[in-house]
Amino acid sequence: MIQEAAISKINFPISGFSLYLCVLLGLMALEDKFGAIALGFIGGIILDLSPSSDSPFGKWSLILTLVGYLFSRNRESIGDFTERPVAFILFVSAGATSTLLIFLIFGIILGENNGAILNNLQTVVGNGIWTLLFSSILLPGLVKLRQFTLTSRERI
Amino acid sequence: MAGGGNNRSRLLLVILLVTSLFLITLDLRGVSITKNSRNATQSFLAPIQRGVSDLFSPVGNFFSDVKNFGKTKTELRDLKRENAKLRKKVILNKDTTGQLKKLKNVLDLAGRGSYKVVSARVIGKGSSYTFSQTITIDAGSNDGVKKDMTVMGELGLVGVVKSTTATSAIVLLMSDPTFRIGVRIARSQSIGVLMGEGDSNYALQLLDPSGSIEKGDVLLSLGSDNNKPFVPGLPVGYVKDVKNTSATLTQEASVRSYSNLGSIGVVSVIVKSTNGGPKDALIPRPTPTPTTTIYVTQSPTPEASPSQSSKAKN
Repeated sequence: MIQEAAISKINFPISGFSLYLCVLLGLMALEDKFGAIALGFIGGIILDLSPSSDSPFGKWSLILTLVGYLFSRNRESIGDFTERPVAFILFVSAGATSTLLIFLIFGIILGENNGAILNNLQTVVGNGIWTLLFSSILLPGLVKLRQFTLTSRERI
Repeated sequence: MAGGGNNRSRLLLVILLVTSLFLITLDLRGVSITKNSRNATQSFLAPIQRGVSDLFSPVGNFFSDVKNFGKTKTELRDLKRENAKLRKKVILNKDTTGQLKKLKNVLDLAGRGSYKVVSARVIGKGSSYTFSQTITIDAGSNDGVKKDMTVMGELGLVGVVKSTTATSAIVLLMSDPTFRIGVRIARSQSIGVLMGEGDSNYALQLLDPSGSIEKGDVLLSLGSDNNKPFVPGLPVGYVKDVKNTSATLTQEASVRSYSNLGSIGVVSVIVKSTNGGPKDALIPRPTPTPTTTIYVTQSPTPEASPSQSSKAKN
C-alpha cells in the first residue's frame, strides 16, 4: 500500500524503486530454505493481488517462489547475513535485479507485451541501483526486526 | 535431518510452483476468480490507499524538486522580476487610461469652443519654495506653444504659458496669487477681474458698480487682444459666495474654479481661437439631480376599542 500510494509516486531519476521487493527479498534472505520458498510464494500472491498488477495471476508467485529457492541455495554458500551487512545489501540488490529480469523473461515466454527492451532494461538497472542505495538504510532495521521475532529455539 | 529438510523444501517448492502454474493457467483461461480477487483487494484497499496517498502526496516530487532546486530558484527570481514589470505596466496602463479620459474631455471642450489646441502632459509641478504656482508641460515652441497662450483643462481655464523651451513650457496656474484675468458673468454679462489667492479660492471684483452677482453665477474669460494671454468664452469658475460690503464701490465675490488644479494630468494649450470666441457655448450645463418621489398611502381606520364600544352602549 505504501509502495503504491507513496513510493511509486516519487519521480525517481532513471527508474523507480520497489520498497516491497526490497523488504520481501531482505526477509527471504534471512529465512532458511523452507521459509524463503514459502515467503516468496506468499509475497508473490500479495503482488498478484495488487490491483495495479497487469500480469497473469500467479506469475509473481511463481517467480518469487523460484527466487526464494535460488536465495536459499546461495545463502548457504554465503553464510550468516547478520554478520556480513555489505554482502547482505549486495545480495538483496542482485536479487531485486534478478527478480525483475526473470519477470521480463517469463513475460516474453507468456507472450506479454512489456514495451521497449531498452526501457525495460533501464527499469531493471535503475531499480537495482535504488535498491542498493535504500537497502543500506532499510536492511539493518529488518535484521533487528527478524531477531526480535525469532523464537527462543531459533535463537539457540 | 538436513536431508529431510531439503526434501521438505523441495516438496514445498514443487507444490508451490505447480500452484503458481495452475493459477497462471486459470488466469490465462479467463477464470473470473482471479479477476474478482483483484477487484476485491482494490475495493478493500482504496479508502486506506487514498488516506496514505494524501499523507504522502508532498513527497511525490521530492527528487525532481531537489534536482531542479537551482533551476526553480532562478525561475522564481525571473518570475518575480516579470511580475514586477507587469505590475508597473498595469499601473502605467491605469495612468494612461486616466490621462486618456482627461484628454478626451479637454478635446471635447476645445472642440465645442472651436479652439485649435496643442495637448500636453503635465510633467512637473513647481516647487513650493518658489512661492509661485506653476506646472511644466511636455509641449514647447517646437509644437507651436508660445508665451502668453491660454492653457485649458477638461473643465475650463487652467492658466497661461509663462515661458517656453523647444520641448516644454511652464504654465502659470490661475491659482497663483499674481494671476489676474478679466471675466464676464454669463447671466448678467457684467465684467470683472478674477484674482488668484494661492489656493482653490479666487476673488472676484466687478468693474461695473451697477453690475450684479449671484451665488452660482458662471464666469467666462473675457478675452484679450489677439487672444493673448486669454481667449474669450472659456469657463473659469462659479460664484461661491457674494460679499456684501458697503465699504467698496463695486461688488465682490468668492469664486471656485472649475478645474481641479491639484490633480491635473493633461492640458491643452490654445494656439488659435475663432474670431469672437465661442460666446456662451462653453457654459457648463448643470447635471440633473434625481428627484425623490414619496408616495403617501392612507393607513386603514383603527377599530373602536372595547371600552369605547361599551361607553357607546351606555
